[in-house]
Amino acid sequence: MSAAIETSGLSKHYGPTRAVDELELQVDAGQVFGFLGPNGAGKTTTIRMLLALQRPSAGSATVLGLDAQRDSVAIHARIGYLPGELELYPRLNGRRHIEWFARARGLHDTSFADELVRRFEVVVDRPLRELSKGNKQKIGLVLACMHRPELLILDEPTSGLDPLMQNEFEELVRETVAEGRTVFLSSHELDEVQRLADRVAIIRTGTLLMTDTVERLRESAPRKVVARFAQPVDPAVFAGVDGTTVTGHDGVRVELQVTGPIGPLLHVLADHDPIDLESRPADLDELFLDLYRDGPHG
Amino acid sequence: MGEIARLDVTIRRRSLIGYTAGMALYTLVIVALYPAFKDMSSLDDFVKNDSKAAALFGISGSLSTTGGWLNGNIYANFFPLVMLLLTIGYGAASLAGQDEDGTLCLIATLPVPRPRIVLEKAAALVLQALALGAGVAVFVYAGRAFQMDVTVGAAVWTTLAVCLLGIDFGLAAMAIGAYTGGRTTAIAAGTTIAAVSYLISSLAPVVSILDKLKYLSLFYWSVGDDQVTSGVSVADWAVLVGVGVVALAAAVRAFRFSDLH
Repeated sequence: MSAAIETSGLSKHYGPTRAVDELELQVDAGQVFGFLGPNGAGKTTTIRMLLALQRPSAGSATVLGLDAQRDSVAIHARIGYLPGELELYPRLNGRRHIEWFARARGLHDTSFADELVRRFEVVVDRPLRELSKGNKQKIGLVLACMHRPELLILDEPTSGLDPLMQNEFEELVRETVAEGRTVFLSSHELDEVQRLADRVAIIRTGTLLMTDTVERLRESAPRKVVARFAQPVDPAVFAGVDGTTVTGHDGVRVELQVTGPIGPLLHVLADHDPIDLESRPADLDELFLDLYRDGPHG
Repeated sequence: MGEIARLDVTIRRRSLIGYTAGMALYTLVIVALYPAFKDMSSLDDFVKNDSKAAALFGISGSLSTTGGWLNGNIYANFFPLVMLLLTIGYGAASLAGQDEDGTLCLIATLPVPRPRIVLEKAAALVLQALALGAGVAVFVYAGRAFQMDVTVGAAVWTTLAVCLLGIDFGLAAMAIGAYTGGRTTAIAAGTTIAAVSYLISSLAPVVSILDKLKYLSLFYWSVGDDQVTSGVSVADWAVLVGVGVVALAAAVRAFRFSDLH
């Protein structure tokens, strides 16, 4: 599978601050790639270097097989971009925005733009200064998607959208990859990314923490186990079990977090005659929060 | 004109109409007042008796002649001032301002080379300057109906020289904005250079130390050498066009390698 995006040692430094540091990233074509990280992690700076809005301090990037800096005009013809902080022209209405960007891109057939306007219920006949953030965001989505680009780069795309429109957005993303196109989805919203993405990269303070499939991340994510006992138990007996951490206890109730196989823990639990056992599915939230807080080895 | 230039003119059309209508109306009032002042010798006495004070307003020579009246009331002061408000304002807003506002990133991710973005912004600047100038030229020529001895050439060429003056400063503000990324910096630097340029040109006839510096002033090459009466020379055109080309090249170069916010 060819790479839609590939970076090598991509870095952006502002004086002593390393906004992005030696980023190694590969996004396969035809996938939804989730780019996760807390605010200020370096997601937007990375995107800006991919789009040649900013020049890297070191390293390089290719987009759709072309050099991100040298071939930026050819790349821009093949991508759609929704900025994280979308700013449009307050006095123009949505229709004029769509018409202008279509002309500027040399797009003659605007039937898909019309379809997106209908699907997202975009208000196109009022000046943008009169629209809510969500309605402006819908116009931004139309502008990014209307020319059916090979690669969609979306920075916090559902910001301000109501749940119905978020569903419509997810449907649009699935249709996009079904057509063999690629979606690079930058977000700090884990739920959205794990529903849509095939692969996920997590970045924190400019450094890539990990890249993996959502499936494998889920396998490695900690699950929560709550056990109740007839008699009080010493929680220390569970602390020594491989992959198990005691997260809470009150005598007859013990909360545990388990990473990896649950078998060894079940053996120890069985020795203490539990009267009830509750195991929650693997929770990516916990994994990501741990990574956000502490890094991969924290 | 490309789509980027068209968009910028569209979003600024209200202010452009305001500037143009206001300046045209002012010009009409000035030429319409000429018959009431053309025989007032006291005006010329004022210039003769207090030439330094008159020079502060860009006035030199007779005020009762057509050329002197137009120069003292329009070309040497008010028209360049309004022109510079328009062009320095747009020059600073076109790259640095739109980058600060966040609208430039969508333009910069269109399949358009960055130099062309600057060229289109320059085209929008030229169009705005010419629109403002057209209103002035029309009503200056209308001065013929008010006992003024105005030729089409004088109205058009002198007005065009002021347009070029504004375009030069607008392009300079654009280049400064592209280099620094700051709209305020671009406006402040552009305005300061323009103010110094104006003072050098207007005071040069009465302050000997400034006489040699006048060649550094774009005002001198536009309206400061009595172009309203004697016409715009080849040297004037060469300097005004040359400075514009250099400022445009600087803006292109700066924007080509600049990081956007």
